[in-house]
Amino acid sequence: MGLSAKDSVHLKEALQVAVVKCSERCLYQSAKWAAELLDALPDPPEAELGQTTAGGSGPDVHPAFVPNVDPLEAALEAQELNKYLLAKSYFDCKEFDRCAAVFLPDSLLSGVLSAKQGDAETSKAKASTSLPSEQTLPNISQKSLFLALYAKVIAGEKLKDEDSEMIMGPQDLGSVVNKQLLIVSRFLERWFAERKTDDGELPASQGFLEYLYGMALVKEKNDSAALDYLMQSVHLFPWNWGCWLEITNLIARVEQLNKIAPHLPQNIMSFIFHANTAVNLYQQGQDLAASLTDLLNIFPKSSFLLTCKALLNYHSKDLLTAEQDFSNLLALHPHRLDSLDHYSNILYVLNLRPKLAFLAHLCSSIDKFRPESCVVIGNYYSLLSSHEKAVQYFRRALTLDRTCLSAWTLMGHEYVELKNTHAAIESYRRAVDVNRRDYRAWYGLGQTYEVLEMHAYALWYYKKAAGLRPWDGKMWQAVGSCLQKMGRERDGIKALKRALLADSYYDSTSSSFGSTGAVDRMAQMDPEVLLQIAAMYDRLDEEEEAKAYMELCVAQEDGGASGADVGGLADSVAIHHDFPGAGSDGEGEGAGDRAAGHEGIGVTPATSKARMWLARHAMRAEDYATATRLATELCQDGVEVEEAKALIREARSRMELGSMVER
Amino acid sequence: MSRFLTPAKIGLLALMELYVEGAVPNDAIMPVLGFISSLLLNRDLVTAAASPSPAERWKRADRNIALIVSVKEFKKVLAPFAAADGVPGRRLWDRFLEKLWGIDSLHGLREFFDRLPNLIARTKDELRELAAHGHPPPVGVFLTRSSIFGVFVRRAHGNSRLLQLHQTAEVWKLFVKYRHPTAGHWRKRNPLYGRLSFDSVLMAGEQQWGNHTEAVAVAAYGDMLLVGDHDVTLPVTYDDVEALSEFQIDQMQKYGNRAPRDVRVKFQRLVKDSHFIPSLSHYLSFSDATRAGDYPMSFDYLYRYFDYTMQKSDRLFYQYALMNLAIVQSEFGSHEEAIDTMLETVSVARENRDLPCLNFTLNWFFHFGRAHPNLIYDLENSSMPTNEKASLAYLRVRARETGMWILWCSTLQSEAKVGLARGDSISAAMEDMVRSSQLIVLRNMKPMVGPQLIMRISLWDRLGLANMSSMSCEAFLRCYARNCLLEDELKVICRLAGLLAGKGKYEEAFARLEAIDPSTLCNAKTNQYWHFYRGLLKLRRDLHRGNLVSSETLLSQLLQTGPEDLEPDMVFVLDSLHMEALTRRGDLDAAFTKLDGLMAQLRETNRDISLRIRLLLIKAHIFDCAGRPEKGFSAAMRAARLAWRARLMSLIWQSLGALANIMNSLGEFEPAARLCVAILPRCLEADAAHTAGWLYSVLADARVGQAASAAAEEGHGGPAGLVGGIVLPMRNLSLEHTKQNHQQQQHGGGGKREEYLVQAHDALGSAGKYFADVEDVQKLCEVLAKKATLMKMMGQDGLAEEYARRYLLLRRGEGLEMYCG
Repeated sequence: MGLSAKDSVHLKEALQVAVVKCSERCLYQSAKWAAELLDALPDPPEAELGQTTAGGSGPDVHPAFVPNVDPLEAALEAQELNKYLLAKSYFDCKEFDRCAAVFLPDSLLSGVLSAKQGDAETSKAKASTSLPSEQTLPNISQKSLFLALYAKVIAGEKLKDEDSEMIMGPQDLGSVVNKQLLIVSRFLERWFAERKTDDGELPASQGFLEYLYGMALVKEKNDSAALDYLMQSVHLFPWNWGCWLEITNLIARVEQLNKIAPHLPQNIMSFIFHANTAVNLYQQGQDLAASLTDLLNIFPKSSFLLTCKALLNYHSKDLLTAEQDFSNLLALHPHRLDSLDHYSNILYVLNLRPKLAFLAHLCSSIDKFRPESCVVIGNYYSLLSSHEKAVQYFRRALTLDRTCLSAWTLMGHEYVELKNTHAAIESYRRAVDVNRRDYRAWYGLGQTYEVLEMHAYALWYYKKAAGLRPWDGKMWQAVGSCLQKMGRERDGIKALKRALLADSYYDSTSSSFGSTGAVDRMAQMDPEVLLQIAAMYDRLDEEEEAKAYMELCVAQEDGGASGADVGGLADSVAIHHDFPGAGSDGEGEGAGDRAAGHEGIGVTPATSKARMWLARHAMRAEDYATATRLATELCQDGVEVEEAKALIREARSRMELGSMVER
Repeated sequence: MSRFLTPAKIGLLALMELYVEGAVPNDAIMPVLGFISSLLLNRDLVTAAASPSPAERWKRADRNIALIVSVKEFKKVLAPFAAADGVPGRRLWDRFLEKLWGIDSLHGLREFFDRLPNLIARTKDELRELAAHGHPPPVGVFLTRSSIFGVFVRRAHGNSRLLQLHQTAEVWKLFVKYRHPTAGHWRKRNPLYGRLSFDSVLMAGEQQWGNHTEAVAVAAYGDMLLVGDHDVTLPVTYDDVEALSEFQIDQMQKYGNRAPRDVRVKFQRLVKDSHFIPSLSHYLSFSDATRAGDYPMSFDYLYRYFDYTMQKSDRLFYQYALMNLAIVQSEFGSHEEAIDTMLETVSVARENRDLPCLNFTLNWFFHFGRAHPNLIYDLENSSMPTNEKASLAYLRVRARETGMWILWCSTLQSEAKVGLARGDSISAAMEDMVRSSQLIVLRNMKPMVGPQLIMRISLWDRLGLANMSSMSCEAFLRCYARNCLLEDELKVICRLAGLLAGKGKYEEAFARLEAIDPSTLCNAKTNQYWHFYRGLLKLRRDLHRGNLVSSETLLSQLLQTGPEDLEPDMVFVLDSLHMEALTRRGDLDAAFTKLDGLMAQLRETNRDISLRIRLLLIKAHIFDCAGRPEKGFSAAMRAARLAWRARLMSLIWQSLGALANIMNSLGEFEPAARLCVAILPRCLEADAAHTAGWLYSVLADARVGQAASAAAEEGHGGPAGLVGGIVLPMRNLSLEHTKQNHQQQQHGGGGKREEYLVQAHDALGSAGKYFADVEDVQKLCEVLAKKATLMKMMGQDGLAEEYARRYLLLRRGEGLEMYCG
């Protein structure tokens, strides 16, 4: 699909306006994002374009450069143009305090704030709502006000970075705060309060101040109020991507996303936001994929959307496709470093060492002081098992940007490798503090506690991880093992069964997601998990169940589901295929026909163990023929030959004994 | 940029890997191992082989640079050998390329480095561990851990682990570039080769990325791909630059020569491309500038060097900084400043209790004091040990205590030198020299052989044993020159040339000087010395030939060189030649004034006794020229006494000759003749042709005088007063007068007289021969005139005419060849 030429022109214009407005306010990242999107938008065909331009009036000014529509604001802006230009150039030169002081000198600011404070006290004392402040707010345009306050915030951030201790040093508690935020939020609080008309309505504004206030509130952890203001902001000016991102960060669960979705403005930005947030929440599925594809039709070369798509594939464990996506992205934008850290994760998992080395080289030649580059290099060193060096690079990434989530998590992984569990726990904890949606950090925390044999803690964290990735078998497997170790076999079995389901679920989604010739792992079940379940049943003395799972496990050797007609599991598999959203196409019909085309996974330690158990079981059940057969198979596979031979001998002797007795 | 690893070193490692894998065929093993180890050793031990010649030394440095710059150097070594795997047409070079191109990505390089420990023999523990894991112990050739190769491999491995990723990437990029010249060769063997083949990731990515690949490659490899082959940065590391600078400084300090121009240019390119410039290279620039005689630059570089080293532990060596500064200042002639700096050095060294430095300083002061006694004069009275001998003895004891053998040795030599200069006992000096010689042999101090031999040369000279002296010169040049400072070599060559010139073999002397190695003359000081010495020889020759005009020009040029730039001995030679020129021009007043000045100057300072004797002799000579030889009597007597005391043989003969001359003028012909006859044979030993000629002519005068007195005794001649009249006009070189006198003598005669006259003629003949040897036209004319007069007296008019004709010819500047022939 595409847009009509007219829409396309409008979209273009809107984006152009967005770029200009954002850069007027020094929102560089948002401006960049919008400009990228603008660049990705293809030109509409000439013919249609001609029509539209002919329709419009000829020599009008581009909307990006028309004065403010609000006459009051326009007058103010015109009046203070000189000062604005001065402030803007200060900001561009990174003299933030000076920039802020152009419009809001410290004397004025302190006056406003003290008045405010006094006001608060009086309001507390007298419970009166009057605002008899002697110091009035300066009468400047919103644009200038935003610039000044934003400069204050940025100056505070800078100061905060300077005050911060060395990463993970003894003094580094992550507790340094931006001291300017309080001032800014007080100021804005009063500003909004003063603007509020008697009936509680706000006159129309440009949306940026709401965004700034929302940001300040987010930092104060006042999430719901923040969300309110941010939503207001996107309603007023939807083209500020930074604002959307703030909203994304506030949303922790899909349900929340679905809840706020109706309240969002209905335009293309909200569409993009929705897709992006869903990807960040590890969602997957047809709808999401479809919406991304739609967006990609409009912006065919948008690096942002391509990244989203690649990430979607990554989250649905389709690593090869994701790798290709990222690789293409790299070819299209070789100098773009954003989200290459995810790419390096993929390469790490796929163990593509030369490629990862190349990527690291590329990143370090482009800019070795970007957190992404450091993460990529750290990943490379981690792959080479030089964990100290990897830690060094992750630390560097964090020094550059303390909110670099993946660096915290990966550093945790490295510390686990280095057997430094305390440091590992701390880094994971920091990762979680930065972003509560990072399942790997939760999982890592669980793992670390498991290593420390604190299973109750581990279980808690595993559950968190599983909650974030309900369709990831690994999470459930971890939960199951943890339960097993705590002696809660029943729950463990449940969790592990869920793991089996989850694995198959992923396979079905990935195969449905446009990837041709996808690796269809569907009918295979992890023999390890099966063995674990069986062992737990065994512990519970439910021999039949145990035997069924053992057989299923052995059956994985050659084409999985051929033995799937065992007991309850077939049902569960069937249930899984009824799961909405998955088997909507003909592919997920049944396990049986699918399995035909499968090769097995071959002999693994797990299957051998299962076989051994089965052989013993057969011995116990005095089914000597089966026992002999299984033991012989074991001998053929060359696993635990001695024991297997002993079994065969015993079975023979028993059989002979039996025959003798019969005789 | 890495500190140690370069593409060239990766090449060496690859070569070692080939060797360990057994890919090197038997006949190539020695050359390959020799190639590697020569490179490795050169890095660590400069003096590996037994004293190669300077040219060879620089050639090796040149090859090191070439190897750093280009992979072709490997080809030269490897291409001649076949590979060991038996495939026909495959060279070892191909195998090597296979290795190099096998490193096909950054990760490949990483793996290559990680593989390095496999080249090294396992320790017992490792073997045990391998066995525990059930692996068989590796078989094949391995490098032992502490061998040269093993150390190199381990160092490379350790360094590779220290590299940050961007540094590794840098090495990888450089390696790609370094390898690139072999791409053509590799393509022939490998048809799949493409433009992006240097990186397997890019090559694999090409299928997916299509024409975007180029952009990705540029993003990763930066401008390397864009600029192409014109890129000028060279793969050089701190390690290489440091090794090369150390080598050069070592060369300069040891031998005093500068690097040849092309090596220097290459080295400067390397330094330019190295990211870290070792502070040592500033020192190198400083030394170079000093050698090149670039005074401001050398100061600039010296200060820069110390600014950069201040931050390091080298700060402890502040006294050495000052010492260097003082040496530079004195080398460039600002002696007062040098003294101030040196005094500060002493105080700093004293503070830091740096005994070696103090000893050096003292030694320097001693030598400086000998060269510039007037400057050191004030100091000597206040703070320095008043006596040279005492200070030397002190220095000797300290040197022995601190084990500074070289200093000890040079102190002994200095002691000998001082003894000689003061005219003390020769045997005492000899004893010192023997002791120093024993030290040299005992401690194998090759560099000290040079000064020792130079000492010996001057000793033989003083003793008038010219043959011994020239033999020592030859011995030095043939055997020891390559271990010694270039300056010493130059001095010996000049000495030899001087000896030759003294014998009148000017052409040979000039040939000797011209044949000197041009690299020696890169050095400003040696260059100056060489030019000056050549000028002096020319000047002497011109003076002898009577080319007063050209000698005037030459003299004015030579006099422009200030005395601070020259060694005092040379200045003295120049001064004496100046006086001779003045004398020859007949400007006796000027000559005498100059002489007086020099005498006064010498009296103040405590200089070599030989100089004083020479001045005394010149004085006597000037009086002689002025026609009043008897006024020079006391000077000649003193000269003879001093020379005898100091056993300065050649000077004794001269002073005795002067005495004989004075006796002649006093009419004491008999003792004069006896004196001349006694000393002539000894003088001939000394190879001093001019002195010999002069002695002969004095003898001839005496004989004529004797003849006159014999005639007077026999009653034929005129009154005794006439005798003076005979001799004096002959000395006055006026032909008419002699003729007149001759007529007066005509009727004299008799057996005794005839005999004396014949002896006089013989003596004149010898004198003429020697004067002709040294091409002294004036003296030769004199001799010819005397001969003509003699012939006239003896009544052989034909011969007299012949001599007179030759005389006239010679005066016109022709016919000298006839005598020189």
